[in-house]
Amino acid sequence: MNRHVKETDLALYASGDLRLWQRAAVHLHVRNCQSCSTVVEEFRADGRALRDAAAGLPDGVDWARLSAEMTANVRVGLAAGECVAPRGRHAHKLIPASWRPVALASLVTAMLAVLLVGGWWLNMPSQETQALSRAMRSIWRGHSAMPEERGPVIEASSEGIELRKDGGALGVSQDAAKLMTVSVSTQGSASAHYVDQDTGQVTITSVYAQ
Amino acid sequence: MRSKILIIALAGTIAVTAQTVGRKIDFPADSPLTAVSSDWSETRETPRGGAYLLDVHAVLSLRNSSQRRIRGVTLAVLAQEVTTGGKGSVSVPSLDVAPGEAFPLRIDLPLLCPLGAGGPMVEVRLDGVLFDDLTFYGSDKLHSRRTMTVWELEARRDRKFFKTLLETAGIDGLQKEILSCLELQRDRPSAGVQMVRGRSTNNDPERELKFAFLHMPESPVDPTGGSARIAGNEARAPQINIQNRSDRAVKHFEMGWIVKDQQGREFLAASIPSDVNLAPGKSGQVTQDSALRFSERTLVDSMTGFVSSAEYSDGSYWIPSRAALNDPKLRSLIAPSPEEQRLLQIYHKKGLGGLVAELKKF
Repeated sequence: MNRHVKETDLALYASGDLRLWQRAAVHLHVRNCQSCSTVVEEFRADGRALRDAAAGLPDGVDWARLSAEMTANVRVGLAAGECVAPRGRHAHKLIPASWRPVALASLVTAMLAVLLVGGWWLNMPSQETQALSRAMRSIWRGHSAMPEERGPVIEASSEGIELRKDGGALGVSQDAAKLMTVSVSTQGSASAHYVDQDTGQVTITSVYAQ
Repeated sequence: MRSKILIIALAGTIAVTAQTVGRKIDFPADSPLTAVSSDWSETRETPRGGAYLLDVHAVLSLRNSSQRRIRGVTLAVLAQEVTTGGKGSVSVPSLDVAPGEAFPLRIDLPLLCPLGAGGPMVEVRLDGVLFDDLTFYGSDKLHSRRTMTVWELEARRDRKFFKTLLETAGIDGLQKEILSCLELQRDRPSAGVQMVRGRSTNNDPERELKFAFLHMPESPVDPTGGSARIAGNEARAPQINIQNRSDRAVKHFEMGWIVKDQQGREFLAASIPSDVNLAPGKSGQVTQDSALRFSERTLVDSMTGFVSSAEYSDGSYWIPSRAALNDPKLRSLIAPSPEEQRLLQIYHKKGLGGLVAELKKF
C-alpha cells in the first residue's frame, strides 16, 4: 500500500482546489484507499455544513459596519475596565497641569540618558565593560577596588590565540591548517599548534606580551 | 579653502593606506638555512590609530645548506622588537630535512607596528635550528633551543613507543592505541584563559589556594608545596617550592598547571616555566608575577601541578616517560606532543599503512 495522502491535500481535493496533475494522483489513491476516502467524505460534509450556516445570515449584511461595531464594543469594554481599576493606575491625573511640561521634559531626558548609556555600554570594548562591571559589583559589596591592570592580555581558547591591549585585539589564524592545541605560558606568551591537513607538518605560532 | 584642506587630507590618507609592507629576511652569513623563495602577496596592512595592524601571511621556501639533518626551526617575526604586539615567532618541530633539501614554512601572524616615516616593516630572523644530533645553531633570543630540544626528545619517545607497540602488539595493537589517542584528542577539555602580567582588574575578595601535585616518579625536580592567590575567576602569583632530588644541578624546569572549577570541570590552564639554579639535594622557591583569568563562570576550586620537563646545568634534559603520562588525569588533560599530533594526522590522511611507513623512516 502506498503512503497516505497529506490531510491538507485531501482537504483541497475535497473542495476541488487541488492542481490538475495532483488531483489525478489523489483521485487514484482515494479510489483504492478506504481511510483517505473517509477523510475526503468528512471534509465534504464539513463544507456543506458551512454553506448551510452561511445561508442563515440575513441578506445584505454590511461587513464594514459589522467590523466597526465590533471595534467599538471592544473599546467600551476597555473603558469599563479602566473605571473599575484601582486609583493608583490613574497617577498621571494627580500631576497638576502646570507641572506636566516639566514631567514630560524629565521623561524625555531620562529616555535620552538610557539611550546614551546603552549605546556607550554596547560600544565599549568588552574587556573594559567587564572591568567596569566588576568594579561596580565591588563598590556595591563594599570591597576596596584594586588598581587597573597596565600590561597586555594574551588569551588562548579553542578558537586560537589573541593579543589584546587598550581594547584592541590581534588574533592568530591559519586558514590552511587545523588548530590542534593552544597553550599559555606564565612568562608572557601564548602558542597555537596547527597541523597541515595534507602533510601533517606541525607549525607552532607564538605571540609575546613583551 | 575648505576643499583644499579636504583634498590634502584625502591625499594624506591615501598615502598612508597605500604604504606597502617592507619585508626583510635576515639570516646570518653562516646560517645553515638559505631562503630560496618567499611569497608575501597575501600580507596586508591597515592603519589603526597611531599604528599599522599587519596581517602577515607568507610562504617561505628554505633550504638546508648545512651538512646535518635538520629536526626543527624557529623564526622570529618582528615588526618592532620592544613594544607589545610587535613580536611573534613560528616554529616547525618534527622535521627531517636532509642536507640540500628544501622545505616550506608558512608564516601567519598579526603584528602591530607604529606609524613611521619608513612605513611598515616585517623582519624575519633565524632564532634557531636544531639538528638530528641535538646540536643547535642560532641567536636563541626566544629560548628556542630549549623548546625545540624538548619537542625533539618527545618526538623520539613517542615514535619509539609506537614502533615498540607495532613490534609487540602488531598492526591491530597499534591501531587500537591510535584510535584511543584520537578519542582523547577529540574529548580533551579546553577553556578560555587570559594571561595578564602583574596585577589584574579583579575586585573579588582574594584567598590563598594551595596546589596539589602529581609526582612524576623519575622527575629530577620534586614540588613540595605551593599556592596561588585566587579571586573569583582569577588565579595569580603562583609560588612553588621545589627540591632537586637528582645528582645533577638543575637550571630550568617547567610545570603544568591544572585547574578544577566549582562545577568539577578540569583543564590544563597554563605552563609555568622557571629558571632556577638548584644544586643536587637543594630546595628552592619560584614565584611568578602573572595572573590567569578564566571565563566568568569558571570559579577556581582546586589546582594541581606537575613537572613537565627539566633542564640540567650540563645541558641535558629530562622529560616524562609515556608510562608516567599514562596517569588517567594527565592523559585526559595534557596535549599530545607535536610529533604525536603529526603522526595522528598522517594516520587520519593516509591510514594505517601510511603511519607504519612513516614510523619506519626513523
